[in-house]
Amino acid sequence: MANEVKDDLKYTKTHEWLKVKDNKATVGITDHAQAELTDIVYVELPSVGKTVKKGEELCVVESVKSVSEIYAPVSGKIVGVNKKLEDSPETINKSPYGDGWLVELEIKDKSEVDSLMDAKSYKKTI
Amino acid sequence: MFCRNVKLQLHYTPGGALAMAIKSPLYKIQEKLGAKFTEFAGFEMPLQYSSIREEHLTVRRSVGLFDVSHMSNVWITGKDAMKLLSLTTVADASKVGEKQSQYTVILKEDGTIIDDTIFMNLEDKYMMIPNAGMNAVVTNWLNEQAKKHKLNAKAEDASRDFVILAIQGPKSRETLQKLTNTDLNSVKFFGCQYDNISRVPCIISHTGYTGELGFELQITPNKKAEGVFNKILDAGKEFDIKPIGLGARDTLRLEKCFMLAGNEFHGGRSPLEATLGWTVNWDHDFIGKEALLKQKEKGTFERMTCLMCVDKGIPRHGCEIHKDGRKVGIVTSGTLSPCLNVGISMGYVHPDCRAEGSMLDIIVRDKPLKAKVVKPPFVPKDWAQKN
Repeated sequence: MANEVKDDLKYTKTHEWLKVKDNKATVGITDHAQAELTDIVYVELPSVGKTVKKGEELCVVESVKSVSEIYAPVSGKIVGVNKKLEDSPETINKSPYGDGWLVELEIKDKSEVDSLMDAKSYKKTI
Repeated sequence: MFCRNVKLQLHYTPGGALAMAIKSPLYKIQEKLGAKFTEFAGFEMPLQYSSIREEHLTVRRSVGLFDVSHMSNVWITGKDAMKLLSLTTVADASKVGEKQSQYTVILKEDGTIIDDTIFMNLEDKYMMIPNAGMNAVVTNWLNEQAKKHKLNAKAEDASRDFVILAIQGPKSRETLQKLTNTDLNSVKFFGCQYDNISRVPCIISHTGYTGELGFELQITPNKKAEGVFNKILDAGKEFDIKPIGLGARDTLRLEKCFMLAGNEFHGGRSPLEATLGWTVNWDHDFIGKEALLKQKEKGTFERMTCLMCVDKGIPRHGCEIHKDGRKVGIVTSGTLSPCLNVGISMGYVHPDCRAEGSMLDIIVRDKPLKAKVVKPPFVPKDWAQKN
């Protein structure tokens, strides 16, 4: 189903997910978000090394007829991007929580993670 | 994620703002079929059912069914109806025979386009199909001009009386043929006539907005349309027919470089700028002719230009077009081409910078995207056979 929510992730109101491991976090968009967009055809990834503040634009995901900004769920430094998406952006549709991840962040302030929604709260918003 | 829906944005509010979006008489059945809806020019219409890409390819390869009831219907009657059409459009209506339709544009005195439209010669009267939300503007304009030029002709807005269906794709004729006794091969390209589809009276025309073989039906009364819609879906089952939303309608027309009035004519553009000079019959008098002749003589105007991206990325409405770091034009429509899998766009470009094969930069989020000037259409007629 197109509204899968994973229990071990943190979520934003704007449909990004965050998977925390130590001081790093992987960011992607939720199953709900990819289903709303359908046909993701282009991803503009940020440069590695760039720092972003929570809520700032992290990257851009485009479907055939829409442009969506993806926001940083927490502040930090970009330490990795999913280069594979440049050639196969549809991976986000197929595997939003797996191979369709977008960016890896080095978390600046772990307390920001606590302010995000858990799976149960996110489910209520969709 | 914040989704900016750039697809069907209209950059003007035709006929004034509407308090509430009008639903198509087919809304309920579309909802059942799983449509996602979008507001377009004051109408709540299906944006997509399954996916824009899938729907798009269905029309290129087989057949799709569109509800385009948001488009307008205007009856033009009276003994001077032909004269009124010749005066208010760039076409000479006396050259448009019975059971023929004509694509044309309506101009202001200054030569800029009010709307592009098709009018049909239905023997006893004419029907014009202005764009969504343009019914009042066009009807009033025609009646004003009739009065001013003392013509015995009347325009009457009948938009809410009709459901408009478009059946488009290489299998459209075979699909529709099952529902009528009329030999559809006898309805020539841009032909139109009164007919019956599954015993419901309608006007059928061999027209469309996809660049594929296709037909459009004007059905009245509205309540009969749901039955026809279902019958067509049944008839097309063997070809895997799909209902198609406005998302794919937009990408299909853009691959063929057809104009979308709200995008391509926004801000006042002449048919010469829009490279619609071929629609102008210069051998008759029409409103806006003098202005066009002046513009033609001067020759220095921007012209509609088709740009195919070489770099990865998708141009969108409003992106600037640059050459050597200097602005030379603006994108009016852009998308990813579902057939070609590259970014494509239409836009107005300085006359000196649009030679076929020229490389230009489209500025997307402050970054230049290399794009090549190509001859329309982006997607050739035989694409489906070859792919």
